Amino acid sequence: MSKKLLTAVLILSALLALSFSIASANGGPHGGYTATDDACAGCHRAHTASGPKLLVETSTYALCISCHGTAGTGADTNVDDGFFLSTRSASTDGTANTTDNAPLLGGGFVNYGGVAVTSTHDVSGTVGSAWAGLAGNRGVLTAIDANLDCASCHDPHGSTNYRILNTTVNTAAVTVALVDEGAAKDYDTEQWSTGTSSLCAACHNAYHKTAAGQGSTLDAGTYTHRVDMPFNYGGNANPETVGLGGFTLPLAETGTNNTVVCMTCHLPHGSSSAMTGFADGGPTGAGIPPGNTIAADSALLRLDNRGVCEVCHQK
Amino acid sequence: MSQNNEDNMEEKEDPILEDSIVISEEAEEALAEIQEEGNRKKRMWLLLLLLLLLLCSCGLFVRYLVQPEPLPDIILPFTGPGSELSYPPHYLFSIYGLSQPVGVTLSPDEQLIYVSESGDERLIKVFDRSGNPVNSFAPPDTTQGYRSPVYMDTDDQGQLYVTDRLQHSIVIYSREGKYLDSILGTDLLLSEFIAKHIQGNMPEEITFSYNIITRELKYKLQEDGEEFSLPDPDPAVWAPLGLWINKNNDVFITDVFEGQHRVLTFKNLNKVKFGRGEDFDPKPRSFGASGQNAGEFLYPNKVVVDSQGRYYVSDGNNGRISVWGDEFLYQFGRGTGDGALSLPRGLMIDDRDRLYVVDAVDHAVKVYDVSGDEPIFLFKFGNLGIDDGLFNFPNDIAIDSTGRLYITDRENQRIQVWSY
Repeated sequence: MSKKLLTAVLILSALLALSFSIASANGGPHGGYTATDDACAGCHRAHTASGPKLLVETSTYALCISCHGTAGTGADTNVDDGFFLSTRSASTDGTANTTDNAPLLGGGFVNYGGVAVTSTHDVSGTVGSAWAGLAGNRGVLTAIDANLDCASCHDPHGSTNYRILNTTVNTAAVTVALVDEGAAKDYDTEQWSTGTSSLCAACHNAYHKTAAGQGSTLDAGTYTHRVDMPFNYGGNANPETVGLGGFTLPLAETGTNNTVVCMTCHLPHGSSSAMTGFADGGPTGAGIPPGNTIAADSALLRLDNRGVCEVCHQK
Repeated sequence: MSQNNEDNMEEKEDPILEDSIVISEEAEEALAEIQEEGNRKKRMWLLLLLLLLLLCSCGLFVRYLVQPEPLPDIILPFTGPGSELSYPPHYLFSIYGLSQPVGVTLSPDEQLIYVSESGDERLIKVFDRSGNPVNSFAPPDTTQGYRSPVYMDTDDQGQLYVTDRLQHSIVIYSREGKYLDSILGTDLLLSEFIAKHIQGNMPEEITFSYNIITRELKYKLQEDGEEFSLPDPDPAVWAPLGLWINKNNDVFITDVFEGQHRVLTFKNLNKVKFGRGEDFDPKPRSFGASGQNAGEFLYPNKVVVDSQGRYYVSDGNNGRISVWGDEFLYQFGRGTGDGALSLPRGLMIDDRDRLYVVDAVDHAVKVYDVSGDEPIFLFKFGNLGIDDGLFNFPNDIAIDSTGRLYITDRENQRIQVWSY
């Protein structure tokens, strides 16, 4: 009798744990579907779809911003402005684990921090190329397998990855572990762990160099900054807890040895950082980094000019 | 017998005619001239009439080129209960010059159309009934990155109430678009907060602004006077999204604060003198909670009330309409078929208790008769596309008393005007 009871308790516990993990990873309309669910009609039509994958619309971005746009008619995560839209007054803690109007970790496609973006990932579905798309071609725009839209990186049906990131991007496997963020989601503090850079490397694979000493190793004609490395390499300040002049950068939470990843320096959705002087790689700017032809393009960097270098290296 | 009679009559008639009509050649010519003159006049009148028609046609054509609006719509008996009309409206024309419009409403006299944009400068744009631009405005001291006007409505004085998703407030404007005040919470008015801090009556000339993102509160006692700052008012725990005002000036709001999705109803807000620093404590009724079960909401977008006092809430992410009286009554819209809902957003109800639901991802407006105990699906209109009468993510709807419908067509960057 006690064995049966124990077995039943174990099964129930496993089911509860499974259901919790699904809800925690995704939530809302993105996952948790049942056999009798009729949520599919929110985005799909079985026989009268206008877009591929039976979608109700040919533009994935237009569909996504129906909830996640600036009007916030169906979500608190406003990816156009890079704001979290729920609210928590200065004196009252709400259920949200993110303060009102806090900046989203991914940046914004139209504004960021209330200022118009100076660079974005173009998710209009018309661009099918990426900088450093092939090994050895850093600084070169190279065709990738698919055009870019929201679903290139995110799986609206839910995923085992952090922030419903796809497990396969541009044919490459992606695994982005989620660090426990508690009962409520945290949109302004990084909760990603190992594997974060694998998402970026799915398209920008020539930048994904992880070996020690990479910055001084000639590789296919150029040198490149190492990623997936400990922040304190060479005695750098902790960019997350120390920073410089009030500016900090997020590290991946990989235990005691917090790790520099692509998103430490870059905002994947879009950045409003200002690029002036040598940092402006465009035709009117003073600097000329290879391949960059767009005036004031901030290359998705989190801080103005080359602030991301100084926050760590503090030269 | 009868044949003989007819023959006799013919024989008798012929001599009479020949004998009695004796016309001279001059008279015949004169008669011919008179007839010719008559014909000439007829032709002239006909020509004049044709010219007049041609002129009218040219005039209408030129008018159409200047103002591309179809001929005045035929007004059908739209208002008043009891009619059996249940056919869909037809497309009239579109109003352009907008960037991703999301909300729409009308002035009390129905002569002005207010539209909120979610793209570019994110302004409230005002058009006349023919679609001509009249005005545009935004909250003071905000740039486009700090504001996001969504749903709105007007009270009987013409004051415009706009929910701002980034500013977490309801912004009040005059009919002409002059900023009056901001409701920062269920018991917090911006001018009330300022009046308490300056410890005196609010001068008529005072101007003020508050940006919840930069946390800057500024005011001037006179227009050209010194600018002062005040500490952050600590706005309330709420996130107003939907807004509708009934004929009694009661304001119905949906609140989508995380974990606390609900409906708030304020009585007689038009009696508040906005901008004058009055005490603000309207004690709204609140109902609903976050969730997917019956009686719970996930991003309720708008609420309207029928003639029997029943509330209809577009429960966006749950894909249904939630109906309330004093308590939760029932819900509808899930399932399959034309009457099923995918992502209900804007709502409106007409004088015959026909409920209009804008389904954002089905790119259509679905209409239900809710006058009885249960809703009856009547028809839907619209489909996905970019041509006249087709929608690309519609979001909100306004209806006037002549049977005109104004629908925001977000990704087609326009307002579509339909009519019965």
